[in-house]
Amino acid sequence: MRQNSVEWVALAVSALAVIGVVGFLVVDGIRDEGQPPTPIVELHRADAYATGHGWIIPATVTNEGDTAAEALVLRGSATVGGEPEESELTVDYLPAGTSVEVSIGFSAEPDGEVTVQVIGFRLP
Amino acid sequence: MIRRMSERADSVQQSAQDLLRAVGGGLLVGLPLLFTMEMWTHSFLLPSWKIVVLLGVSFLVVIGYSAVSGFRRERTWTELLVDSTETMGIAIVVAAGALLLLGRIGPDVGLRDAIGKVALEAIPVAFGVSLAGSQLAAPEDDGDEQGMAGDQRATGTLGRLVVAAGGALLFALNVAPTEEPMQLGVEAEWWLLVVVVAVSLAMTFAIVFYADFRGGRPLDHRDGPLNHPVSETVAAYAVSLVVSLLLLWAFGRTDGVSASAIAGQAIMLGVLASFGAAAGRLLVGGGAAGSAEGG
Repeated sequence: MRQNSVEWVALAVSALAVIGVVGFLVVDGIRDEGQPPTPIVELHRADAYATGHGWIIPATVTNEGDTAAEALVLRGSATVGGEPEESELTVDYLPAGTSVEVSIGFSAEPDGEVTVQVIGFRLP
Repeated sequence: MIRRMSERADSVQQSAQDLLRAVGGGLLVGLPLLFTMEMWTHSFLLPSWKIVVLLGVSFLVVIGYSAVSGFRRERTWTELLVDSTETMGIAIVVAAGALLLLGRIGPDVGLRDAIGKVALEAIPVAFGVSLAGSQLAAPEDDGDEQGMAGDQRATGTLGRLVVAAGGALLFALNVAPTEEPMQLGVEAEWWLLVVVVAVSLAMTFAIVFYADFRGGRPLDHRDGPLNHPVSETVAAYAVSLVVSLLLLWAFGRTDGVSASAIAGQAIMLGVLASFGAAAGRLLVGGGAAGSAEGG
């Protein structure tokens, strides 16, 4: 039924591809416990830098749930020069198990702790 | 000895051609959706089991299409299944390669996200691969006696409806992931939907039985009880609506949506689906009459 090496290789590769993709999705589907989106924000203050318009703190947002979040809004709060300051940003899509790199800006380097709050998100 | 070796080289060359045609056909059909943002986002918005169901449905369509179009040679059921699995596999590899080239998957994309994208994009590509195996083949390719016999086997009503479903899926899939069918369906008044149904039926009837397209059939063509032009048109339209509903469900357009809004969306997406179904039926034609032009 398969006449030569080209056909055999094509058959083997495509069988592996099907088994790999379907197998992965089935295992993922079984493991999925339906956990709601769980965004975790990790600030990288050591990598923060100054620009002409303020102080930028890079951060990683990771979704540790099993469900994607859409239009995720985060709010960073800090005290800058003695005054409370807030900064908001939106992540369009945060797939389950995925990290997105973002940055939070303040007018200058915050004095003490920077806290991040999840304002909300949309479920798919 | 020399002759045997050259025969082998020929067969390798032929296989390479088949494979390249499969890749080309897959891209030809799959590229519009490879460039559609909603397909990328649905890879992680849809749960895994839903993607598996969609792959399963498209696998059935590929099997159905291969069985009906009967290309290259008569095959046993096992061969049909193996060939259809190979079609899906080639589609997965092609989709993965294309997504890599487009920068949609790579080291910085989560594995689940990447595999979801590959699996979703593999669906339209698989239809293209499947088409490349039959309709897009050069006539010499399947010019052996068995191939011709397969080509000339008249396609029955049921077979035509299978192909209609495939055509509907292929055509409507290009639009189903986008927002447009939702907006059209929700905004349309009931009387507008009735007119759209009537126009869809009239146009698809005309395309297959009256407008003299290649592969079309005369009005007095009958070869079975369901094969009256009117009943076939209605049946194909019903199949198109089912395909539309399946696609709307697949892309989460029916979750928490009122029945009338679902009906509106299905009818609007059904315009594309029914035209795809008509095109599919033109492709397989009316059996011997249709393939005479193809060969």
